[in-house]
Amino acid sequence: MSDDFAFWLSYLTNGKHLTWYASFQFTVFAAAFGGTLAVVFGLIGATLKNSRFLPLRIIGTIYSSIVRGVPDVLFFLFFPLAFEQGVEWIIASQVCSPEMIAAQSAAWPPCKDANWFLGTPEYLVLASVSLGLVYGAFATNVIHGALRSVPQGQLEAARAYGMSANQVLWRVHIRQMWVYALPGLSNVWMLIIKATSLLSLLQIADIVLWADRLGAPNFLPAVGLVHGDWRWRYYLVLFVFYILVTWISEKGFDAIMRRAGRGILSEAP
Amino acid sequence: MAQAAAAAEKWPVVAIRDLHKSFGNLDVLKGISFSAREGEVVSLIGSSGSGKSTLLRCINMLEVPDSGTVTIDGEEISLRGSKPRRQIADENQIRRIRSELGMVFQSFNLWAHLTILENVMEAPLIVQRRPRGEVHEEALAMLAKVGIREKSDSYPAQLSGGQQQRAAIARALCINPRVMLFDEPTSALDPELEVEVLRVIKVLADEGRTMILVTHDMEFARSVSDRVIFLHQGLIEEEGTPDEVFGATKSTRLKQFLNAAHHQ
Repeated sequence: MSDDFAFWLSYLTNGKHLTWYASFQFTVFAAAFGGTLAVVFGLIGATLKNSRFLPLRIIGTIYSSIVRGVPDVLFFLFFPLAFEQGVEWIIASQVCSPEMIAAQSAAWPPCKDANWFLGTPEYLVLASVSLGLVYGAFATNVIHGALRSVPQGQLEAARAYGMSANQVLWRVHIRQMWVYALPGLSNVWMLIIKATSLLSLLQIADIVLWADRLGAPNFLPAVGLVHGDWRWRYYLVLFVFYILVTWISEKGFDAIMRRAGRGILSEAP
Repeated sequence: MAQAAAAAEKWPVVAIRDLHKSFGNLDVLKGISFSAREGEVVSLIGSSGSGKSTLLRCINMLEVPDSGTVTIDGEEISLRGSKPRRQIADENQIRRIRSELGMVFQSFNLWAHLTILENVMEAPLIVQRRPRGEVHEEALAMLAKVGIREKSDSYPAQLSGGQQQRAAIARALCINPRVMLFDEPTSALDPELEVEVLRVIKVLADEGRTMILVTHDMEFARSVSDRVIFLHQGLIEEEGTPDEVFGATKSTRLKQFLNAAHHQ
């Protein structure tokens, strides 16, 4: 019995498992940073869509309609790679001499000095930006609709009392917009959480990648890996994790909604 | 000196000259001129569509007139461009002027996310940038004045219509306005709630505040006004003291209007 316990304890705390536990931070980071960016891009997109200037309005509309249609997996693969190669191309145009280009045997980058090495932190940031861009397009639509739901009379009152356009926007319009946007934004947030399971596409050793590795059948008693195909058990742990995150998120959104909805979602006097 | 004092007494706080405004093909105001002097209560009456609300909304440029001028306290509001793209020329000027015009709307338009007290304090703090302590004290005093001091921590949605409108009046009072603009302040209220709002407005009128009031309520216009202006199809049809306008009506249109109002 105590032997069993000692075995499981050492099994679950071996180095690879500890790395797996640590990799949850990547997922949490990508969700939190990507979610924040999605709201920021959503606000920018909605402002563009509401702009009085036609070109800006067109940019906002194109962003929300095109990007929403692109599969997130595809954008996830496309954006970081395109960004990386774009940066390398710019560096190359500055630093590569013809001799260096001639000396380069690989197809890319043009010369060795133009190589930009991306580690996990960089990929993580790029992944978060991708999430932000894709789901920001959804947030744009949500926020755009929410801005139109705020009663016009209250904006008019704010103008009538001498508030500047910025004060009207931030103190009344956006402040009240949240109540109408939050249900839609909570949907977007759930989608972002789900999409964090794609991080391994960008060579990030995330929870999914580790679950896959650790669950694979192996019989190396020397390092304590002694089981058959246990992947489903590891995936089950991830299920529980995502359900937990969903549950916490819903609690969180309820709390934010109560805060943002004070006075607007009228309760009994 | 006496002459100067007399001139100051008659100083027009609001002066409107030859105002025109149309929405699409519809001419709502067809050349309106009038002024409201210091301490004067001017009521604008007329049937729906006569342009009285539009006229009031032109005073603080919630509607920008197509032509004509609005002068507040001797300062003309600068506009640029011509119809239909006429717009406010100087954002700083209009904000400064608006911060001295206390507008009360038909549908109250209190900010739903702020408590009653916060609603009243918002413009003095944010626009006029007065010290918080002073504003807080004055806001409570104004809420007491309109009789809803005990509601200061409630949200607008928790109040009755009459209480909301009185809160909106307190909000207008707290900016120490040069002029108070009332846009049909009781039209959205049930008759029994109208009374409490009218009582507050009457008190303000008796204090000698300069007020411009758009109203449907002829009895109230008669009791509260120094001057009554009857608008018909975008023009001033008749103008005078309440006794002249209601007692010795000259225009047939006004007679018809008053008859109809009487039989409601």
